[in-house]
Amino acid sequence: MTPQNEITIRLKGVSKSFGETRALRSVDFEARAGEVHAIVGENGSGKSTMAKIMSGVLLPDQGDVEILGRRPRNPIEACDAGLATIFQEVLVADEASILDNLYVGRDRLLGLKQSRADRVGEAAALMQRFAGEPVDLGAQVGSLPLSMKQWIVIARAILRRPKILILDESSAALDLAATVRLHEAINDLRNAGSTILIVTHRIAELVRIADRATILRDGEVVGMIGKQDITEENLLAMMTPADRHVAVSKEVVRLPRKGAVPPVIQADTLRLSAGSPDFSFSIEPGQIVGITGLDGQGHDAFVRVLAGIAAPASGMPKVRTPAGVEVLDCLAAAEKLGVAYVSGDRKREGIFPDQSIFENLAIGAYSQNLSSLGIIRRSSLGQMFQQEVSRFRIKIGRPSNKITSLSGGNQQKILIGRAFARRPKVIVLNDPARGVDLGTKRDLYAELRLFADQGGAVIYLSSEIEEFLGFADRVDVFVGNTIFRSLKGNMLDEDEILAAMFGQDRSQHVSFVAKDVAS
Amino acid sequence: MNRAANRRVLAHYGYLAVPLGLFIVLTILAAMRSPNLFTGTGLAGAVIVAAPLILCTLALTPIVMVGRGSVDLSIGPLMGFVNVTLVAWLTQGGFTHPLAIFAWAMGLGAAFQLLQALVILYVRVAPIIVSLSSYLVLTGVNLLIMPRAGGLAPDWMMAWGAGRSLLSPVTFVVIAALLLWAVFWRSTLHGHVRLTGADERMAYTSGVATEKVRIGAHLLGGVFAGLAAVCYTGLIASGDPTQGANYTLQAVTALVLGGASLSGGRGGAVGSVLGALNMFLVANLLATFHFEMISGAATKLAFGLILVVSLLANALTANRMSTR
Repeated sequence: MTPQNEITIRLKGVSKSFGETRALRSVDFEARAGEVHAIVGENGSGKSTMAKIMSGVLLPDQGDVEILGRRPRNPIEACDAGLATIFQEVLVADEASILDNLYVGRDRLLGLKQSRADRVGEAAALMQRFAGEPVDLGAQVGSLPLSMKQWIVIARAILRRPKILILDESSAALDLAATVRLHEAINDLRNAGSTILIVTHRIAELVRIADRATILRDGEVVGMIGKQDITEENLLAMMTPADRHVAVSKEVVRLPRKGAVPPVIQADTLRLSAGSPDFSFSIEPGQIVGITGLDGQGHDAFVRVLAGIAAPASGMPKVRTPAGVEVLDCLAAAEKLGVAYVSGDRKREGIFPDQSIFENLAIGAYSQNLSSLGIIRRSSLGQMFQQEVSRFRIKIGRPSNKITSLSGGNQQKILIGRAFARRPKVIVLNDPARGVDLGTKRDLYAELRLFADQGGAVIYLSSEIEEFLGFADRVDVFVGNTIFRSLKGNMLDEDEILAAMFGQDRSQHVSFVAKDVAS
Repeated sequence: MNRAANRRVLAHYGYLAVPLGLFIVLTILAAMRSPNLFTGTGLAGAVIVAAPLILCTLALTPIVMVGRGSVDLSIGPLMGFVNVTLVAWLTQGGFTHPLAIFAWAMGLGAAFQLLQALVILYVRVAPIIVSLSSYLVLTGVNLLIMPRAGGLAPDWMMAWGAGRSLLSPVTFVVIAALLLWAVFWRSTLHGHVRLTGADERMAYTSGVATEKVRIGAHLLGGVFAGLAAVCYTGLIASGDPTQGANYTLQAVTALVLGGASLSGGRGGAVGSVLGALNMFLVANLLATFHFEMISGAATKLAFGLILVVSLLANALTANRMSTR
């Protein structure tokens, strides 16, 4: 075992550029055995690049990476040195079993290092601990829900008993109770003398668990603070550039509501799947409605129905337009009726990885920028692009660079810009803030509020409850494929939402969720 | 628990359902139309005729499994290349010892595949382009080495094509190839090939040596291609520089019929052998109808139709399984 307090990983003068984007500028960093060290920063600050360099996936342009006395040049050497990384993307092989996915890369070309029976026992125990229920290790991964895939990726790293574990935004797909289980596992590893590096922008999570934190801004280290100084205010102040310092609460000025307006989307006796209970839903122009729930309670399916991507078992939603009321039954109808959709699952429902930033933003706006002969007007398209880029303060090199040259958060901003560029009447957002930093979130809330005040309607799904407070007019909480409670006005607070998510009427039994696992 | 186990088997090997069903149907039809096929000599002949295609398909399998859409189009001309060099160089030069022949065939196949793998990996050309170039180059080279079909196979091979007994040398070559596959299947290389094919980035970042794995898959494919060439040489007892294109098309069709995924990660010997056998049975069945002049065209038409139908059937069963 590595002695406590020994330096296990050290970066010296590490720089890395992608085309014209300078992701890291001469970064120095070190972490010790037996500590949880957080690496925090906004999107595009270089956190993920740093994680990739430490795990050998990327090589630095300049500088040195030393891991337990070695200098790995690729992921295989990094693994050999005792490092394991859980990447932001959920990397699993859909065609293979859970067991194969857990032990990928563990064998040499000839012979197993460990008997199959040992593996099955070890993996079953760990997966049960994580998922909270027995898991069939032979199951094909492709058919599993996202949260289970996330567990597989986490378990894969932990099964290696790493001396250094890097978590790059790894709890994004986990709900609260699951995050608590993850923190317990991290704690065990730390007590066994491992170094744990948490790369994240979810500050609330860190305050509980990190021993030290290094803060990145625009590819540079702006500071390192110890446990007693790790507070939301401190971290935020260091992460955001001086011109964007805002108070932590995200109060938005709200215009007074006019008299009763007919709903823009209305659904009656909607059933998400055959046999599930029916419910009704409506949203007026100028409203922001939050949608939430624990994993697999139907809220995800519901926003897909509203966006025209999936069809409900019965009770199609209807959209009111100046021309009358029309049924929203497919994507073409959604497009025609002015309903836009933004997904937080960038890899599967968002970006075209091989296309330019410009194409990725403009793809939905071509039909609105045609001349009378049906030819694309480049100039107005370019104007629109500039407008959206500056609206969300997106950090880009050249518009013609591939979208994959951007950080995850900036990619998400491009996708949100894509939805805005279509000038919709209703925007449906499916967990758009996954992988987005607080500064961007605030920009996003302000833009959405503005959009609503100008007569638009916003449907906003999120699993992070804090997002709704001071932002949503109403929050619909899903339990068992139906709206369990609809909270608004005075009822709209964190405890009430949490209670509703767990299927309780009042907020009296939920204190267990917030318990501090780090202590 | 038993039902879970059943479902698991279905999920992993469900793709074999369609080729297996097709095989059963075709076997019954063949038994009705040409009962001759199921006599001792009939089967012996069948093995000899089907062996080159079976081995070519087997050669494609690991290369396709490793992903990046790397269907090796050059497999037919490669088999032809080994065939014409065996006849024009080795036999003419007097090197006819079986060991020399087998070593040359497998070595040349493996060496050529190694070259392709290296170009794919280090020149970073898309595999399909690499194999298309190889296909064109080898087709030309084969004609340079041997302008027209001719020459003679080594003496000890001359009797192979007669196929009087089911236990002919060709059968043993096929069995040896399947044993080699079984060894591969039990090795970790197999797991790595599958996982690399399923998601190369995932495999790389998890510490799989994806480059070595790709080279390994190509080497194995090359060995099978060499064995295919030996059986082919035995079948025609001479050299033929022109049959490459045919075998490429048939082997790719057989591979798809066998349920392998052209995007990688899924496939295996059982599926590929079934696919090749199905191709053979279709050709055999059609031969019992008297199409006379157009029989070649009819066979190709039938191959195409069966491919489309089996892909449709695959899609339908996959849908049903995912909605369950």
